[in-house]
Amino acid sequence: MQINYAKKEISCKLVYYGPGMSGKTTNLEVIHQKVPDENKGEMTSIATEGDRTLFFDFLPLDLGRVRGMTTKFQLYTVPGQIYYASTRKLVLQGADAVIFVADSQAEKMPENIESLKDLQDNLAEYGIKIDEIPLVLQWNKRDLPSALPVEELDAKINWMKASTVEAIAATGEGVLPTLKTAASLVLDRLNAKTPGAPPPAAAAAAPAEEKKQEVYVSRVNHDQISRSYFNQYCQLQYRINAKSVPVEDFKKFTLEEKKKLLESLINYVLILQDAKKRNIKASKEEVDKQVAAFVKRFNSQEKLDEFLQSRKISLDNLRNEGTKNIIIGKLIAQVIPDLGERTKITEHDLRAFHESNAALFGGKSFDQTKNEALAAYKNHMKRALLEEFYGKLREQARIEIFQDKL
Amino acid sequence: MKDDQLRKKRLVYYKEDLDQIDKLLEEFLKLSNAKCIFLIDKEGHLVTSKGAARNLNPETLSALVAGSFAATKEMAKMLGETEFSVMFHQGARDHIHISLVSERAISATIFDEKTTVGMVNLYSKELSSKLEKIFDIAMRRVAQDVPVEQDYSDSVKDRLDDLFKE
Repeated sequence: MQINYAKKEISCKLVYYGPGMSGKTTNLEVIHQKVPDENKGEMTSIATEGDRTLFFDFLPLDLGRVRGMTTKFQLYTVPGQIYYASTRKLVLQGADAVIFVADSQAEKMPENIESLKDLQDNLAEYGIKIDEIPLVLQWNKRDLPSALPVEELDAKINWMKASTVEAIAATGEGVLPTLKTAASLVLDRLNAKTPGAPPPAAAAAAPAEEKKQEVYVSRVNHDQISRSYFNQYCQLQYRINAKSVPVEDFKKFTLEEKKKLLESLINYVLILQDAKKRNIKASKEEVDKQVAAFVKRFNSQEKLDEFLQSRKISLDNLRNEGTKNIIIGKLIAQVIPDLGERTKITEHDLRAFHESNAALFGGKSFDQTKNEALAAYKNHMKRALLEEFYGKLREQARIEIFQDKL
Repeated sequence: MKDDQLRKKRLVYYKEDLDQIDKLLEEFLKLSNAKCIFLIDKEGHLVTSKGAARNLNPETLSALVAGSFAATKEMAKMLGETEFSVMFHQGARDHIHISLVSERAISATIFDEKTTVGMVNLYSKELSSKLEKIFDIAMRRVAQDVPVEQDYSDSVKDRLDDLFKE
């Protein structure tokens, strides 16, 4: 990007990348066709006889003055064919954003993947990681009969979670939205107010930045809870429990919500500490079983992947959750023995519980829902006992909460 | 991308630098008797130009010069050189002389029979070393935040919508 204060001009370089024949040049042609003459230069192609791009296609766009700055986009395409690797690298130099034009057809998947790998390698030569540069994936040729569903493309190609746009470049559909998405990715960075503000796409960069100087939100006995760990915990709890989560969103928690989540995290840390003292562990087999039971709820591997991906949960996250469940289960079994013995549940108690929780039983009579009431009551008692247990742990523990660091 | 890395990637030219650069380019044209000169950064953005260039789209020329310079650099590497600092293309009427300026820019001079390649080469070497000093000072200046208005990005998107209206 060039910012020229003397001319009050901002000039950005956008590079269309992708396998041969995926429609990169077509994208440029559509833009060239639609944009009025005064806003564009000639489209220049260095092409071979077969009309395939040899070095690059180039189209300068001049948006005119926007908020006092003359704004220009230089659009480049790279040659798609595998053997032009070196020229692709040259064109990529100084790119402010990359638009990867993928061919949606099932049979083109290997080429898409290879080209993306090539992009990654070429960026690496300039010291840029593919998930750091503004990147837009265009799913092109949506109209062709063998086009894969977008979800599948996303799963197969978009591991870096870039923005995606569907397109039929040949008819012009999706071309402008792609360009707009790329433009805003580039320019939003320019707008970042504070120098340290992480780019919106790199939510993961926040914990990394905090690592430099660990900030702790709480201390539980000898364990400290770092802010980055706490944030991860919050996001994970949110994503696991939410019915649906918009993929690009990281939830912003209010202070009240954070406090509540921190309490539950402290309970978790306490229980793990206590379990360690009692030498309670979860074996690999037990965790495997727990995870397998969870996986079984999904009919197919695809459905599971879809679920995990939609929530940005990894299988490791699942295993950790499973481990936690097992340890807590075992601990409860030790410290809170069979409820029937510890607490005598009389019919009187049960009736009182039924009455005060009438809503739970849909207004049905006690006799109709006696069994359900008993199960619910046991559950209720268990939770109460668990709370009591946490209370005891907390009494003995040294817990500090650094609220201003939340 | 790290912020300072991003800053390095942004090529920022301030007015005081450009005024000086423009003066040097004018001086060069007078001395060398060339038709026009373009100063282009290595990424293909035009920095500034002087002289009469008829029917020439400076943006496209910049992209092509930067592209061919990058390609020659690959050739240089194959020969064990880091890069070639001068390139010359001879035409029937007009010729172009391309020369490396410091680490980050390229000058492209267009000239005809009024002068010779030797003269252009001589003065562009002189020009390069003068420009290098300006770039050096500019590079060391602390990068400032870009004072674009908050809704600049949205305004650009709106403008794109306007351009694409059928």
